[in-house]
Amino acid sequence: MTILTDIVFVLLSGFALWTGWRVFRTDSMVRCAFLLMLSFIAVGLMMLLMAAVYIGVATVFMMAVEMMVMALFMVMFMMNPAGLNPMWMVHQHRLSVAAGVVAFAGLTAAVLASTLPAEPLPPGRPVVRDLGTELLGPSMLIFETAGVTLLATMVATVILSSRRGRFGDAMEGACPPGLEPGGAPAGRAESESGGGHHHHHHHHGDHG
Amino acid sequence: MTSALAAIALLFALLVLGALAAALADGAAAALARGRPAGAALAVPLRRAAFLLHQQAVTTERPDRLNWLLAPVFYVVLAAVGLSVVPFSADLVALDLETGIVLWGACESLVVVVVFLHGWSANAPFAMIGAYRYVAIGLPAMLVSMFVLIAAALPAESLALTAVVESQRGLWNVLRQPLGLPLFLVLGLSLTLRGPFDYADPYDLAGGTSAEVSGPQRAAWQVARLTMLVAFSAMAATVFLGGYLGPVLPGPAWLALKTALVLALVVAAGQAFARLPPSRMLSALWLVLMPLAFLGLVIAGVEAL
Repeated sequence: MTILTDIVFVLLSGFALWTGWRVFRTDSMVRCAFLLMLSFIAVGLMMLLMAAVYIGVATVFMMAVEMMVMALFMVMFMMNPAGLNPMWMVHQHRLSVAAGVVAFAGLTAAVLASTLPAEPLPPGRPVVRDLGTELLGPSMLIFETAGVTLLATMVATVILSSRRGRFGDAMEGACPPGLEPGGAPAGRAESESGGGHHHHHHHHGDHG
Repeated sequence: MTSALAAIALLFALLVLGALAAALADGAAAALARGRPAGAALAVPLRRAAFLLHQQAVTTERPDRLNWLLAPVFYVVLAAVGLSVVPFSADLVALDLETGIVLWGACESLVVVVVFLHGWSANAPFAMIGAYRYVAIGLPAMLVSMFVLIAAALPAESLALTAVVESQRGLWNVLRQPLGLPLFLVLGLSLTLRGPFDYADPYDLAGGTSAEVSGPQRAAWQVARLTMLVAFSAMAATVFLGGYLGPVLPGPAWLALKTALVLALVVAAGQAFARLPPSRMLSALWLVLMPLAFLGLVIAGVEAL
């Protein structure tokens, strides 16, 4: 049974590495997102093999959602509506290679320097309950801070990157274009424009 | 080991027979909704399936062939994996996972990916619009269902479905958490691309993600949707209707009966309700259903304390 587990573990890690490599070799944002998802699913299954029954399944769950959202946002922001159009997926080669080498060396050093637990899990140990107690006990502050920080980062990134909206600068409010060039916004009555109307007169003012 | 094998056999029997029953129910419901006798309409889905199996398969210009062909396969696999954590009786479960509810959640979220890939890989406009539209609606519907499921796990104090069923010996969750089942049925409609939540394959997109799919591949996609309906119904019956619990009859029989009841409910809801425009449905999901699900979770949490 253990040799079978080892074989599955090696196969899964090979699959995770291969799909992770393919992420950088494909020419489509959608394919790239879902190859990364496959890589993470393989990692989640490896965690199941290591008796991390909650983290393993939750990894699959979270990565499916995250990669779907990532594919959606990448396609939305990069103006490639289909995502099927071929495009160059890698950039800043030297920096990326250097960052990759440093990250790999750092993680390898961390793994080699730390003593990893080797004893098998005692049967009947409530691992999910232990994890929950840890997450909502001593580590709660860390996890909640990290969670809120990540959420704030995501929202801020979207706001900053979507500042140039479809109908002009987002800071001036969403305004449909005029019927003639430079004219008043189409489809709005004079009275209902309110604050937006005020902004409109300062179109070429010192906004931002 | 033998009980797990028996559970796996039961699982596939439930999937196959359930999908057949779902096809018949679809035919009958469509006829009843149009005021025609249901008897003659029963065979319509079967005749349609036989026709599709003989229809020629067309293709689009440069599709992502791998994902296009595999999407129905993945859909069925997700239905089977999701169903594997559902207990048929106290000791008859294919995969007695401590985190069964999370595994079902993973299947839910992967369904969104599979439906998206089905539409995206066709490399055709209507299919692609259906795919992106489904992501926008399917993801929040899935989030709502996760709140509902966590609320159902609270009285059981466990994420295992066997424990969730045992916690309903006194009172079924459908009565203990009245918000739960109606909100969960929303997920059923969205998960099986049905009626008011069919934003992937609707008429207004000429079939959406399956607009360019014909022949056996189309039949496979329809069958996959039906198997997912069976898996969802069994899950809803387990979480809200006490699963295998019940007098006289053996556990698997009770589970099958309750599954059939939920299945009929979802099929009827798919016929009865109209579809909102996507933008309004998005607002309804985030501003009405999500807070409702959260309210249910808070109530369940306070009760559990």
